[in-house]
Formats: sequence, structure tokens, C-alpha cells
Amino acid sequence: MTSMLESGYVFWNPIIWLIAFVVVLVIVFFFRRQGRQDYKKDTAQAQIFLCGEEVPEAEQRHIRADNIYWGLFETLKGYYDQVLRPHTGIVNDYILWFVAVIAISAIIILIAG
Amino acid sequence: MDTLITHSSILIIGILLLAAFLTPLVGRVSERARNILVIGSLAFAAALVFALARDISFNGIHVYALGASSPGLATPEGFMVPVRIVLEVDGMSILMGIIWSIVALAATVFSLSHMSKETGQTRFYTLVLLMVAGGFGMMFTGDLFNLFVFLEITSISGAALIASRTRFADTQEGGFKYIVISSVASLMVLFAIGVLYSQYNLLNVGALAQAMQYTMLDRMALVILIAAFAMKLGAVPVHMWLSDAYSVAPVSVTVLLIAASQSCMYALMRTCFTLYGVTADLTAVGWIIIVSGILSMFIGVTMAIRQTDITRLIAYNCICESGFMLVGIGVGLAVLADPGALAAYGTTAISGAIFHMINHALFEGLLFLAAGAIFYRIGTRDLNQMGGLGHTMKFTAVFFLLGALASSGIPPFNGFASKILIYESVYQFSPILTIIGIFVSIITLAVFIKVFFSAFAGAPLPRYKDVKEVPRTMIAAMAVLAVMIILFGLFPGLITDWIIRPATDALLDQAAYINAIVGAIP
Repeated sequence: MTSMLESGYVFWNPIIWLIAFVVVLVIVFFFRRQGRQDYKKDTAQAQIFLCGEEVPEAEQRHIRADNIYWGLFETLKGYYDQVLRPHTGIVNDYILWFVAVIAISAIIILIAG
Repeated sequence: MDTLITHSSILIIGILLLAAFLTPLVGRVSERARNILVIGSLAFAAALVFALARDISFNGIHVYALGASSPGLATPEGFMVPVRIVLEVDGMSILMGIIWSIVALAATVFSLSHMSKETGQTRFYTLVLLMVAGGFGMMFTGDLFNLFVFLEITSISGAALIASRTRFADTQEGGFKYIVISSVASLMVLFAIGVLYSQYNLLNVGALAQAMQYTMLDRMALVILIAAFAMKLGAVPVHMWLSDAYSVAPVSVTVLLIAASQSCMYALMRTCFTLYGVTADLTAVGWIIIVSGILSMFIGVTMAIRQTDITRLIAYNCICESGFMLVGIGVGLAVLADPGALAAYGTTAISGAIFHMINHALFEGLLFLAAGAIFYRIGTRDLNQMGGLGHTMKFTAVFFLLGALASSGIPPFNGFASKILIYESVYQFSPILTIIGIFVSIITLAVFIKVFFSAFAGAPLPRYKDVKEVPRTMIAAMAVLAVMIILFGLFPGLITDWIIRPATDALLDQAAYINAIVGAIP
């Protein structure tokens, strides 16, 4: 079968996956249909804050890229300080890394054979 | 038709070079005629690539000697070794040619609208054709010196293309860095070729592979070649230039640069598997490439998630994806001398890496084109300035999502198919490598959730309420790549049987590559 990808130990068939995906989708849709039918689109039910708090403008409530995963970056501050250090933007430094790679690789290859 | 196929390898390069020199002349007459010439020549070259691929699948390796009485006669009468310029196209070379032709055509069609407001378009298309011709030359050449020549053509035209939008200061800096890095890498390649030539008096890859003794000098040449190609393809720790150059170039050029870096990956593979191959014990080389691959995956993805410039973010993701390929190739090299391990999982690891090369070119190409579509409409690459664009740029949003899911290895897209081959085979070599790979894929998904949320999701921002979808030619170029991502994802068995396994077999069959040249002695 042209969809089947075999690698000796496992197989991958995207068509079977798609069929399973559609089945799960139908089940999810079925459960969703069991929900409340009395939802009204243009009433207070559609408001973001049911308490009546005024909704900020789109510009103000949009979470900017800088703020996404900020906790992760704070936690990994030590890691990023180290990783960012070689990224100087200076092309001379880039060439120095190239020289270092050649030197280290040469030592390994000449010793290891 | 047979004559066309016989001469197809040189015609593919020659037609593009001819079109490159005609473009400035035709451009003076009419812009429309110039665009037809550029697209027509690329389409014709692509058609020839597919015809040549069909011929190779039936008749084996295609050898073309320039200036010979018969195109297949690589060694002139009275000579013991090939001295002519020889093109040698096998299953691996033609796979690269297929990737290059599809990506070049899609990127150039995208440029028709994307670059329509820029000055110097005729120069731009001339350089695009030169770069594409150089790329084909790198993939099809059978000798090392011409590999260097075509590497130079690709690098010089690539640097000029990065700096083509002269109204931006950062493009000049990006172009400068690219040419410095490329020149150093190319000169080191030339130095390594000189080292090999000084010992064997040979430049032909097949003849050199046959004569290879794996002396101390050969080892030094191998180290230099690997380091130079690794820098050109953006492997950690010689990757820093890549994000500086990719992020500032016009996105259609960045797509070409991705494919050009794939041709350096090809050169790396050709050097290790064909030039040195079974003559040397490449276990240590394999481990060096594996370590570089793991570092590329991890540092690439952790740097990507921090970025707020959309093209710079995707550029770091390119470094990460290159890591997957390097790990696959590294495992293949590490077990090359062990026939049992090679048959059990080494070949699958190499197949996975090769499959990921073609997938990488498709989904990263699509991601860059989608990012370029955003820049075309709103004039910024800063994710902090974006939001709610999915309401007005629906096609772009869907295409970006498709590329992001494929890059993250989400089934049933093509990225998953190649990654599962790498995971499964590499696991048998070292389970920790697969665990790192899966972890990196999860972080990649987090990277693209950040981009999709910042750029496309959320309420529509008032300042972008008049933003429209991009022109049809740009949508068409993205659609071509999107359709291929879906088809490659849905029919991975077909793709591996037709093009990936023949490419892997060709790469591993060093004797066939040598015999195609040396066997041509009269």
C-alpha cells in the first residue's frame, strides 16, 4: 500500500490515522451536541465578563509575543545567558568558532582514526 | 527525446545560465517578457529534472563528460583517469535536483508579486537564475573542483540576493555576513581539494574514491570539508550567521537559501559516503556529526522560542530541523563499517535524514513564504506588532498552520513521516538521542503556538482592519508547497519507495558510483 511507511520495526499508515481521527471527531461532535441548546448569541451570555466588567479594546487585551512563555524564560535565565553569549552578531567571532571546530574535530579524527 | 535526455544534465545548468544572461536584455524590452523567460526557463529545467529522474530509475547512473566524443566517455583515449569536466547524476543527486527545482519554481512565482514593488527586479531575477544554476551544478557535478566553482556561484549570487533590498540597512549586514562566511567555507573547501589533488593528481570524485588511502592528509582534508559544509548548512556551533542572513533576506530568497544549505548537506553526505566511504572507519566522524546534530536541535529550538522576529524565529527552527538530519546521517556513518547494524537501522536512519531534507525544504519554505506574506501586507516582522491577522489573511493563516504542524512532526503531515523513521532507527543506536528528538519536537510545537497566537489569533486589531489577503500568485506558490506537504504526508510509502530508498541505495553504493566513471575507460 502506497500510504504505508515501514521501517523494519514499526509501520505508519496515515490513512488509518485519518480514519481514527474522523471517528474521534464524530464522537466529540456527538458529545458536544448533548450540551445546552438554549445559548443565545447576542445576549449577555456572549460577554467575556458576566459580571459586567467593561471589555478592553482589542489592542489592550491581545497578549504580545514578548509575554508568551515569560515564566519559562525567567526559569531558564541562566541557560539563556550562556547560550546568548556566543551570538554576538560579529562575523569575526563566527569565524573563530569555525577555527575551533576544525581544531577540535582534527584532534578527534587524528586520534580516533 | 533521447538526445534531450542524454544531454539533460548539462542542459539544466546551461539553460538557466543562458536565461540568466538573457534576463537583463529581455528586461530592458518588457517586464512581462522577462518574467515569462524566468519562469519558463525554471519550469523547463524542472521538466528536464523529472525526465532525467525517470531515465535514472530505468537506466541507472547518468554520466555526462563535457567535450567527449560520446557523452558517457569520461576518460579520454590515452588517459588512465578522467580529466574532463564530468557530471554524474545518481539517485541521490536527482533527489536533490527534484527538491531544488520545486523550491526554486515556487519561490520565483512568489517573487512575482512579493518583489513587484522593489527596484532592481531584473538584477534580482538574473541572480536567482544564477543561484539556481549553481545549485544544480553542485548537485550534478562529478568532480571536486567544479563543486567548488558551483559553490562559489551559489554563494556570491546568494549574498547579492540577501542584500538586494538596499533600502534596509540590515539586509546589507546580512549579505556581508553571508559572503564572509561563504568565502571562508569555499576557500577551505578549495584548500581541502588541493590537499587531495597534491596526493592523487585527481579531481574526479569517483576516481578519487577509488584511489583513497585515508592517509593523515586525507583525514585533515576530511575534517576541513566537513567543517566547511557544516558551517554552510548552519550546524551548531557554526550556525550564528544563519539567523542573521535568513531573517533579513526577501523570503523568496530565504527559501532558495534553505535549498542551497541542503545542497551543502548533500555535499557533506557525498564527501563522507562516496568520497571516503568504506575506505575509512568513519565512526568518530559519525559521532562528531551526531553531537553537532543534537546541539543544533536543542540550541536551535530554544533560541527559536525566544525570538519575536518571525523570520528570525523560523531561521532558528531551520537550524533545529537540520539537527534531525545530522543525527540521522551521523548514525548512518557511525555504523557504516558494521554491515549488521547498517542493515538493521543505519540505512533507515539515512533514509529518514534524506526524507527529512525534502520535507524540511517544503515546510520551512512554506513557513517563510507565509511570513513573507505577512510582511508584504503589514510591513513588519515583529510578532509584538501583530495580532488577529487570521481574520483577514485566512489563506496565509491556514498555510502557516500547515507548515507549523508539519515542522512540529504532527501526524499526518510529512514532517512526522520522516521524523518517525529517524526516531525509530536512532533509538536502536542510542535511545537518549530519540528522547531528545521527541522533546525538541514538542518544543517546536510550542514555538509555533506562540507565533500562531501572536500573529493570527485574537481579536482583529483596528490598525490592521484594512489588511487584505496577498495576491493570487503568492497564494499559488504557497499552495504548491502546501499540497506537496499533504501528499508527502499521506503517501509516505510511495515517496520512500520511489525516491528516498533509491537515493539511500545510491549514496551507500560507493562501488556503483566509482564504476560509472572508472568503468568508462575505453
